[in-house]
Amino acid sequence: MTITEKKNFRLVGNRVPRHDAIAKARGEQLYSDDWVMPNMLYGKVLRSKYPSAILKGIDTSKAKALPGVHAVLTWEDVPLNQEVTKFGQMRDVGGGFEGLYKVLAHGKIRSKAEPIALVAAETQELAEEACKLIEVDYEVTEGVYDPREALKDGAYLVSSEDDTNRIMDTMIRMGDVDSAWDKCDLIVENDFYATPHDHAYLETESGMAWIDENGVITMRVGTQVLEHYRTIANVMKMPHTKIRNMGVPMGGGFGGKEDITVETFLCLLTAATRRPVKMVWSREESIECHSKRHPEYLHYKTGVTKDGHVVAQEVNIVLDGGSYTYCTPWVQMYSTMNGAGCYHFPNSRCTSVSAFTNNTFSSANRGFGATQTNFSYDRQMDIIAKKLGMSPYEFRRMNVLRNGDPQHTGFVPQGHVALTELLDVVWEKLNEVPKVDYLPDGRKFGRGIACAQMGYGRLCFLHDNSRVALRLELDGTVTLRAGVPDLGGGQGSVLAQIAAEEFGLPIEDVHPYVMDTHLTPLCGTTTATRQLYMSGNACIEACKPLKAALARKAAEIIKATWWPVTTEAGYEWEPDIANIEGQLEFHDRKIYYAPDPQKCVDFKTVVAHISNEGGELFNEGQFNAPAVEVPDLSDIKGQILPDMTYTCHGVDVAVDEETGEYEILRLIAAIDCGKAINRNSCEGQVEGGAIYNLGWVREDLHWENGITKANNFSTYLIPTAVDAPDVETILLESRGGIGPYGAKGVGEPADNSICPATVNALSDAVGVEFFCTNVKPEDVLKAIKEKNKKNK
Amino acid sequence: MTTRILATEFDYLKPATLEEALKILAEKENVRILAGGTDVIVKMKVAGMTCDYLMDIKGIDALDYAKLDDKGVFHIGALAKLSHLEKDPVIAERYPALKEAFHLMASISVRNMATMAGNFCNASPVADSVVPSICYNAVLTLASVRGERTVPVEKFFLAPGVTVMEKDEMLVDIALPQPEANSGDAFIKKTRVRPDIAKISVGARVIRDGEKACFCRIAMGAIAATPAYLEETSALFVGKKVTPELIAEVAAHASASIRPIDDNRTTAEYRVAIAEVLTKDALTEAWRNAGGEL
Repeated sequence: MTITEKKNFRLVGNRVPRHDAIAKARGEQLYSDDWVMPNMLYGKVLRSKYPSAILKGIDTSKAKALPGVHAVLTWEDVPLNQEVTKFGQMRDVGGGFEGLYKVLAHGKIRSKAEPIALVAAETQELAEEACKLIEVDYEVTEGVYDPREALKDGAYLVSSEDDTNRIMDTMIRMGDVDSAWDKCDLIVENDFYATPHDHAYLETESGMAWIDENGVITMRVGTQVLEHYRTIANVMKMPHTKIRNMGVPMGGGFGGKEDITVETFLCLLTAATRRPVKMVWSREESIECHSKRHPEYLHYKTGVTKDGHVVAQEVNIVLDGGSYTYCTPWVQMYSTMNGAGCYHFPNSRCTSVSAFTNNTFSSANRGFGATQTNFSYDRQMDIIAKKLGMSPYEFRRMNVLRNGDPQHTGFVPQGHVALTELLDVVWEKLNEVPKVDYLPDGRKFGRGIACAQMGYGRLCFLHDNSRVALRLELDGTVTLRAGVPDLGGGQGSVLAQIAAEEFGLPIEDVHPYVMDTHLTPLCGTTTATRQLYMSGNACIEACKPLKAALARKAAEIIKATWWPVTTEAGYEWEPDIANIEGQLEFHDRKIYYAPDPQKCVDFKTVVAHISNEGGELFNEGQFNAPAVEVPDLSDIKGQILPDMTYTCHGVDVAVDEETGEYEILRLIAAIDCGKAINRNSCEGQVEGGAIYNLGWVREDLHWENGITKANNFSTYLIPTAVDAPDVETILLESRGGIGPYGAKGVGEPADNSICPATVNALSDAVGVEFFCTNVKPEDVLKAIKEKNKKNK
Repeated sequence: MTTRILATEFDYLKPATLEEALKILAEKENVRILAGGTDVIVKMKVAGMTCDYLMDIKGIDALDYAKLDDKGVFHIGALAKLSHLEKDPVIAERYPALKEAFHLMASISVRNMATMAGNFCNASPVADSVVPSICYNAVLTLASVRGERTVPVEKFFLAPGVTVMEKDEMLVDIALPQPEANSGDAFIKKTRVRPDIAKISVGARVIRDGEKACFCRIAMGAIAATPAYLEETSALFVGKKVTPELIAEVAAHASASIRPIDDNRTTAEYRVAIAEVLTKDALTEAWRNAGGEL
């Protein structure tokens, strides 16, 4: 464990307004759909009519003949219709990790999301009309919609490119599970189910593309992965220099914009028509056709001693990968790693398998495989605590991971493990309100707690890195450039805050230019809760040589350099660089000689001196995450992720036993963020994550044999402002992270432990166990009635 | 299907007077009336609803009213918007169950456009403003070039989306009689999230005569093909000393008399189960509001 040294912060840790906050508040920052260009066409995707079929033929002649239609494209028109999926990684990892990216349907149709053809027309209405005129010959097939069925011998084969529905197998083990069961006084076995979950971002997949005056296909598409330009260029058979995305800093992602969405479609249509093309998916198309959180079937067998020590745990997970591979192997790694949870099991084994089905493909969704297991292991812990007659708090506290404890791969994280502190603070906060059996209004009261761990930073075998560029302006301000996709999380702004802290400038003196594949240094993906950790560190790296140069020059100007330095010959008056840096402080737009703060000089004066002398006023810094080799998936060992973030949530519920309706009375969200950089953003992530994860308990896509019945916001219901409880956020700042100033990532970890805490509270209230993430009033009422029937 | 475009052809008409509007209805075929548009436009976009003429009546200012007449009857015009009615002092004072229904309906932006008459003419089995209107014995005025006729609200609906209105008729006025002294009412609605369409809704109104009720109307939404007046159940409550036992008996009858279906919002089983609970709660609240004791 490392605790980063203390430092007097002037900006870091404050509630700093983001550089783009005013524009967004005023509505001046445009969404993708707000952009228009002269001569622009509208693009539209024709999707499959069936979730499972064989594509026998496509007749586009009638659509092409419709006046105002300028392109109708099928798989034959795509320069490279089949590529390998990449997610911005800097190294080929191959194996089972990189699946097929098929641009347009050919062969078997794997889901209703399958794109059959693309249309570009003068108006949206014409594009819609043209899609209706495309004649598609389908041979409808039975399909398979449950991964457990898909894995059986003789199951319907989803893909025409693979000879199995099996995507990947993984296993992690520790100790000796098989012989440990004898040492257990109590063994509990349960099956859990985690439901699919939509991202429900503010803006659907949208953007526009045009060919610039130099033949570069240029896009404005909101994405979490700018680096997709490489795959898109490969699909277009164009050089990587000629596909550019300027991004759109709006709309939200939550993992749903981690895969390629509209980019290839736009490039194909704009290349075919030589005109600008806009494409905006309707909400229905968005919900039906973008990825979902992996539905998972999880079996837990857990053994403990009668005094409450965990001894052994066996976990078997089946993931529904849906129609294509996309992020399934990566998500599966997270599920397997977190299978045994944040508890110190001396013996554990977690196996997982993923399978293709004819459901909409599964991929990244905030929490990325960790949330599904988190629900299951923390429900399991609650059930066991009850059987042992222990409080859910005491039982967890006895068994959670502590500093120095290995993860189940044997790796001991370098960062601080705050689980005991988090449990203490949440339990204490919960108990400020005494627990009662019934509320005065007659509703049954329930209290639940849950904790979790989740990594930040990408899987270490991807050899992740990030770059940030800085330029000192002659007026003493700083231009920051970073290819950081920021769809609303504030990942761009926080870099400016870090640079301003380092240079001792007010926030308004550093302006970030973000998100351009070719004009900003690539920062890597906004995924895996990695941007603050990776790009924040890269920003500090970028600052270092500039600060050294500024310090040297300032020391010279203020005559601070003439302090004695001991040498072999006695002493002399020429200090070394390290000493200068240590003695000079940057704050209030000045550089001070720390031992004598009277000696100071304006920041911009120092910049002017360097400029006059032809010195370098720019720098690009790179940060590299710890790198390991791809592990043996049948026995994963060692470091898989850079470090972990820990959370704990407490929930009080009130249940109406006559209707099953329940209300979240309190939601306490605690996280060790290491160090909050922008407190507003940090709290925003924790509150947003809490409501996001709470929504999972009630949201329901109504999947039926590959068809998404709840495909818009009047059928797929997310919590509204009036449905959302107040979130009592507690930020612990251990300084024990490996991000800038000891920070840890919070974006995805903040989406853990709420769902299990809520369901634990519901179980506590009504005395019935629930095994699915989705618990509606209907389920609660049914459970109460069944319990009452049994008790009679 | 897309919510982004209105991919259907029609002629747009905007009459300035009621006479003009009724003439259009009489003379032209396949006319749809556009008031708030919160149902019609959505149906045209995603549910395949078509028309040859879309007649926008928002220009007929004379239909935008909510006022008492000299006999004490409260009249709501075809263009009165839900957000205005929600804040209307007479409704707050006299028809609190209706105010509650407005308050719980949809989102603020929808309430700013939608009209009460539109909620009736859309003829959804779930229509929130209909349920309390049944309890209040609302009377609807249908106008055509042939003249006017009145229909009690519970006789207005035939099936989902279908009413007794002839093709040349238009709902112009909803009249709510003056409530009697010693009357009390309640409206309860259960949803998945706050601005959602009801899983089930229950309205109740009673008039108290000492320890007994001399009048009772219980209505429910989302339990049948149309918003329903539970006439038999309501009759059970009248003429007997009101006790928790009587309320339980009536509530059980309500639950037993409905035949709801499963849909995206909930299950038939759940609707039957909570119909009893909500009827009990609504009757209890209405009785107390009428000054009754339990």
